[in-house]
Amino acid sequence: MNPESLLTSRRRSGLETEAEFTRWVRQVVKGAAELQAFEAGQIDAVMDAGTNRAVLSPLARTALQGSNRFVRALLDALPVEACVLDAAGTVVTTNRAWRTFVDAGAGAGLGVREGANFLAACSDAIGIERAHATAVARGFRKVLAGVRQEYSRQYVCSGRIGYWTCTLTIAPIISDGVIHGLITRENVRAIRDAGAPRGVRPTNAGASAAMSRARTRNRLLATLPDKEYERLLSFLEPVKLRYGQVLYEPGERIEYVYFPIDCPVSLLSVVDGDQSLEVGLVGAEGMIGTPLALGGTTSSVRALVQGNGTAVRMHAEHFQKRLKRSPALRRALLKFIGELMMQVGQNAACNRFHVMEKRLARWLLMMRERLASSSFYLTHGFLADMLGARRESVTVSAHKLKRQKLISYNRGNITILDRRGLEAACCSCFQQIKIVAPESG
Amino acid sequence: MTRKNAMTRKKKKARSPDTSLATVVTLRLYVAGRAPNSVMAIANLQAICQQYLKGAYKLEIVDVCEQPRRALADGVLVTPSLAKVSPAPSSNIIGNLSDTGIVLAALGLNSAAAS
Repeated sequence: MNPESLLTSRRRSGLETEAEFTRWVRQVVKGAAELQAFEAGQIDAVMDAGTNRAVLSPLARTALQGSNRFVRALLDALPVEACVLDAAGTVVTTNRAWRTFVDAGAGAGLGVREGANFLAACSDAIGIERAHATAVARGFRKVLAGVRQEYSRQYVCSGRIGYWTCTLTIAPIISDGVIHGLITRENVRAIRDAGAPRGVRPTNAGASAAMSRARTRNRLLATLPDKEYERLLSFLEPVKLRYGQVLYEPGERIEYVYFPIDCPVSLLSVVDGDQSLEVGLVGAEGMIGTPLALGGTTSSVRALVQGNGTAVRMHAEHFQKRLKRSPALRRALLKFIGELMMQVGQNAACNRFHVMEKRLARWLLMMRERLASSSFYLTHGFLADMLGARRESVTVSAHKLKRQKLISYNRGNITILDRRGLEAACCSCFQQIKIVAPESG
Repeated sequence: MTRKNAMTRKKKKARSPDTSLATVVTLRLYVAGRAPNSVMAIANLQAICQQYLKGAYKLEIVDVCEQPRRALADGVLVTPSLAKVSPAPSSNIIGNLSDTGIVLAALGLNSAAAS
């Protein structure tokens, strides 16, 4: 059957009523079987070759609109908050629970109304919400591009009603050849209930669960009195650091100070532009950017991130202002700087007097303490840079430790198998530094 | 003819109806979303297939609202519309497939319906 031969008209307009549609179908459809089925009321749609679209009969259209109403009622009946977005991120429809949440939160927590753009709300997010919102927008695009089947994220938001965490899930809906995204929001609970530290006011802008965690996990921040930490909160922002990222180069102006949480940062002394030696290793016990606390503005060392993880950072200007006004912060920093100087001194002596194997053992133990993990990724070349040695001598030393079953390594993945054995194999310097930086727990 | 040969022949005869049943019927049903006649056509066809074809069929449902160009390319003008793709001869049925007799005749399953 050739559809062109059966079509005598390409007109689609004016087919709103049953009579108009019938007249049009009788004009365009010439097949006997088709006409018989049409007269029996068994036809839902007729193809229009002119527009390459299916023209629904008025009855079918009404029924589909009815089913849309049914879908809306179904969405309203859901206990979770749900909204549907088109491919551009515009909110097409929301359910009753979502509308209630939008009214209560006054636009916070990506609570957008019908007709508004969800992705625009993601890019407008501020404070702690910003990182989450950026990730959600990325997840939405991946789901709509078909890269991911579903996207789910623990989302932290703030609003008139306090600080909240919830699970945001994005799933695709494909209908009429058009893709939409369904966003649901559930497991909503107040952060205060999840154990935020005493003294953190949920109404204080910039405070968040991540910050609360940061405080407990960065020991320098943890030593600050509640009030002092509260004042710092609005200036702190969480950042993700990547393995191998350079925070400062020697001579570079310090823009931010960093309080590492779960990623150690090496301080490297660079000689002749290309040779480097690690002089200090800072983890959750301290801060990167100590020259600012001593009146300087530039870094004398290269600060190199040793593992993927998180830290909180503060702009140099804010840091200096807070430092002037806060004796508690000054005390905590001076104590840490004293400890760091001791570590640097010990490292200098160790690098001169101790053999490669013992130094390697010490360095691995220091990394273990600061990462709170016995496994990490380090190539021999990288280790050689840290220890100021040739790659070959690092390989020989690592092999010796491996033969003693103290560590295992495979393609850069190093695991400490016997911590006590490794402590016995390393030089006395580790015990000296260990006293300074007690094991994280 | 020996007794053994006779038995062998008997077995072959017994197998022949199985072979015909194993022929997979390929069907394609064109519908317009969840419109009433389309929903009925899907339900009617699935009932017929389960009863008479007992799993020996492949059914593809094409939504003309989603794939209008494909419907036009396949020569489909109105929906719901059922096409028997294989085995030959191919055939078409228009409507909501509520008349089981017509559907079976078009699918070449009259004998199955009679038994």
